[in-house]
Amino acid sequence: MVSQTVTVKNEQGLHMRPAGIFAKEMTRFQSDVNLVFNGKKINAKSVMNIIAGCIKCGCQMDIECEGEDETEALKAAVELIESGLGEA
Amino acid sequence: MLQGIGGSAGYGVGKVVMISNEVPVYEKKQVMDTESEMARFQKALDAFVENTTAMAEKMKREVGEQNAQILEGHVMMISDPFMQEEIHKRIEAGECAECAVDEVCTMFVDMFSQTEDELTRQRATDIGDIRVRILKLLLGLEDVNISDVPYGTILVAKDLTPSMTAGIVKENVAGILTQMGGKTSHSAILARALEIPAVLSVENLLQSVRSGMMVAIDGCEGYCVLEPDQETTIEYEKKREEYLASREELKVYAHKETVTGDGKRVELFGNIGKPQEAAKVLEFGGEGIGLFRTEFLFMDNTKLPTEEEQFLAYKEAASQIKGKPVIIRTLDVGGDKDIPYLGLEKEENPFLGYRAVRFCLKEENIYRIQLRALLRASAFSDIRIMVPLVTCTEELHRVKELVEELKGELEQEGISYKKDIQVGVMIETPAASEIADLLAKEADFFSIGTNDLTQYTMAVDRGNAKVAYLYSPYQPSVLRSIKRIIEEGNKAGITVGMCGEAAADPLLIPLLISFGLGEFSVSPTSVLQTRAAISKWTKEQADKVADKVMSMTTAKEVEMYLKEQSIS
Repeated sequence: MVSQTVTVKNEQGLHMRPAGIFAKEMTRFQSDVNLVFNGKKINAKSVMNIIAGCIKCGCQMDIECEGEDETEALKAAVELIESGLGEA
Repeated sequence: MLQGIGGSAGYGVGKVVMISNEVPVYEKKQVMDTESEMARFQKALDAFVENTTAMAEKMKREVGEQNAQILEGHVMMISDPFMQEEIHKRIEAGECAECAVDEVCTMFVDMFSQTEDELTRQRATDIGDIRVRILKLLLGLEDVNISDVPYGTILVAKDLTPSMTAGIVKENVAGILTQMGGKTSHSAILARALEIPAVLSVENLLQSVRSGMMVAIDGCEGYCVLEPDQETTIEYEKKREEYLASREELKVYAHKETVTGDGKRVELFGNIGKPQEAAKVLEFGGEGIGLFRTEFLFMDNTKLPTEEEQFLAYKEAASQIKGKPVIIRTLDVGGDKDIPYLGLEKEENPFLGYRAVRFCLKEENIYRIQLRALLRASAFSDIRIMVPLVTCTEELHRVKELVEELKGELEQEGISYKKDIQVGVMIETPAASEIADLLAKEADFFSIGTNDLTQYTMAVDRGNAKVAYLYSPYQPSVLRSIKRIIEEGNKAGITVGMCGEAAADPLLIPLLISFGLGEFSVSPTSVLQTRAAISKWTKEQADKVADKVMSMTTAKEVEMYLKEQSIS
């Protein structure tokens, strides 16, 4: 498993639109992708679970990827969050 | 009278049409043929996606991107693999499709409703909407359609869901009343986009009104009157007309030049905190950016922003405002604005301490990066550099020296920049005001920051309720200071602007015109009303008011007199 800590930049946090973009991109990978935030593990391929996580702007979370393409998945996930998911 | 919150400004009188979107009743049954049940669900799902996408398209054309995104979000939510899996699991176990959809949606409604986060709680409404619509598709029931309500309708609902509002015909709807929803709910956003008055979060609304009842609503103050008498009806209709007329009047100012009553041209700019907001300034009719606060670049980060990051942000703002002037304030850290990774020490008196230009000149390496980024971005546009919290001429000297050094560097590296980039001073301390004549000889422009100027002139912490009454731009001391700054700047032939809240205060406008302010910078939403207010005063009238005000001895007297003048 690989993981990295990132900070959410989106002004309103990971709300519907950015969460949707993120989840959709993550489904392209075979690996399991989870966000670890506030002690909870969130399935990053599910927009509903990300929204329920209430991840706000400035929050730090860990992205964990496990599976065959874990390195690529983590790289893509980190880049997406850091790019602000089309909002920053 | 029922009290709620104002979700969308305006007044309306009309007849109630109740819109209900209850979860339809269905019969729970065990299904043997799970395969065909799955196909039934899939068919309803496909229809849902198709209908919703069509509605989103329609919304995009009629009320804009933001509202359409909510419906596009519905497609995203229902396509969620986790949600799909949960529904499939239940159908495979023999539940009917209705039951599976209802259960899974309810699970998420509960999950979202229980969070502390307002935005997430609002998404519960969306899932509720999805649930009802898919159930109706499964049951072959028709969707709520509000496109054919008659003229003069007041829509009443528990909450307006995105799919319900997709069909709204704005000419026919006089107002919206809901029992739930806040200022940022979908109902509110949509009502504002359509310019329909709305009162939301009215307690016991559904028990209090019935279809066909007359209601008068006040979306500004957030209340409604049930079965208004004739007098009240006339009053609301009058208010409505006045409101519409004043809104129309402001629209007239959208694409006009900013001129005083006797035709003198002044500049009217907008204040922004992020590059994207520059487009908003243009949209509201602003002629440039009078204050771009750069702190966001540093605050939204966990480390110092690089020269490239800063360069891109400044360039972005300049390109959004299409080549018009952009006054960028260099880093104004300290005071009440902390940036953790800079490791600033806690101070006894942060507002009198290590902040703004004082910090930048000490941490020259940080400042050089910002100035270089500004210079590089200036190659593409009319970017001007503004230095905050200047108290003595040495500070301005040093900044100008640095700018010259960096120009030399860029020259050597063959990187382009604006050779005659302006470097101005934000006048916000009594010290700068006292030496305005000296600073004016060396600065390319002044911009008066009235918030800090008032605080420092009155030696008052405006966050302290016990002394906050002293914090007023109508204080004779503050007004004298503003007058001197403008006069000294004008004497030296440089533009004097103002970027504090006072620039948008309609009461102060005659004084600012009389003193000779050349540029007003206000929040984007205040641009039109400021332009309208400026156009009402000729220099002669403004001088008369100013003469009188400058002979007054108390802030209260000044404020009362200016109020009288603004009415007449």
